[in-house]
Amino acid sequence: MISGCINQESNNEINGNAIADTSNERTINIDKLEIYHFHGTHQCYSCITVGNYAEETVNTYFADEVKSGKIVFGHINGDLPENSDLVAKYGATGASLWLGTYTKDGQFSAEQNTNVWYKIDNKEEYMTYLKGVIEQKLAGN
Amino acid sequence: MSLMTFMEAMGTSNIPLIAAFFIGLMMAISPCPLATNITAIAYASKRIGNSKHTLLVGVLYTLGRMFTYVCIASLIVWVGVNTQTIALFLQNYGERILGPFLIIIGILMLDLIKFNFSQNNDKLGALKEKLANKGLIGAFLLGIIFALAFCPFSAVLFFGMLIPLAISAGDGILIPSVFAFATGLPVILFSIILIKSVSKIEKIMNKVQIFEKYMRYIISIIFIAIGIYYIWIIWL
Repeated sequence: MISGCINQESNNEINGNAIADTSNERTINIDKLEIYHFHGTHQCYSCITVGNYAEETVNTYFADEVKSGKIVFGHINGDLPENSDLVAKYGATGASLWLGTYTKDGQFSAEQNTNVWYKIDNKEEYMTYLKGVIEQKLAGN
Repeated sequence: MSLMTFMEAMGTSNIPLIAAFFIGLMMAISPCPLATNITAIAYASKRIGNSKHTLLVGVLYTLGRMFTYVCIASLIVWVGVNTQTIALFLQNYGERILGPFLIIIGILMLDLIKFNFSQNNDKLGALKEKLANKGLIGAFLLGIIFALAFCPFSAVLFFGMLIPLAISAGDGILIPSVFAFATGLPVILFSIILIKSVSKIEKIMNKVQIFEKYMRYIISIIFIAIGIYYIWIIWL
């Protein structure tokens, strides 16, 4: 257990160094980052929390990127017909947090983050973690 | 280290079976599956004087859950059914029918409505009746149906965490089975606790039959109450 945590931390450090080395080159290639909280009409407490903390993280740490349009955040009700194309595009299977990256050469990739669900009982930890994930995405990782 | 940090470390373990077990434990303690597990524990205590039966009900309930999860995972991993299609379908319909289903079962258990089933004299019919009377088929079916009712958070755990694990390992049987065992573990553990505590009460009361009669009413009320809870969170 303890060794598992040490490994996790050291991996993050390695990833952090990798970002520092290549960020300038890769940032140029990222056109837009979409962060979507998918949910149904009837939401559970955890589902609402995951979405609210994500929104607060984006507004707190990435206000400039939101203003410039580089980051788009949204709560998407998957039960509404007008959102069905977006649900299909991301492949959301219910309440979930997704990060969709558009590169300047028109490539799109979407990734679901499930780790946030483990952090909803600690807002600070959640926001610090998600901030790191978004920074990595903006850096092209 | 907090409980959630520990659960995250285990649930994201590089060993798929360990990860599946801990994702299953998360499922077992999350609100919706917890409600169905409480119902199952109540069901297991129906014939509380018979300790073997109580434990068997807990085990069969877990096997019922296992059947559902293995079927869904196999359909996705091996048949290639789209995860999103099956996930959205089950979330739309599974949970909606669970509330009315529980209320109907609760009313039936109260014996307010009597059913006359035609007599079946063949051996298979007799065996079916014997098993049904013991509540074993019922326990298995409860497991199947409860597992089909996905709440938003249980869908996150199953479709968002477990299914990607099963897909990457190419395993539609073992990983969902371990997950199902963990989701039913509280029911098995409570069955054992019930057996131990009831044998003590039995010595004092020595009136198990009267106790069982009251238990049936309590269980029926638990079914109806949890049915109302589901209707309230989904329909209202």
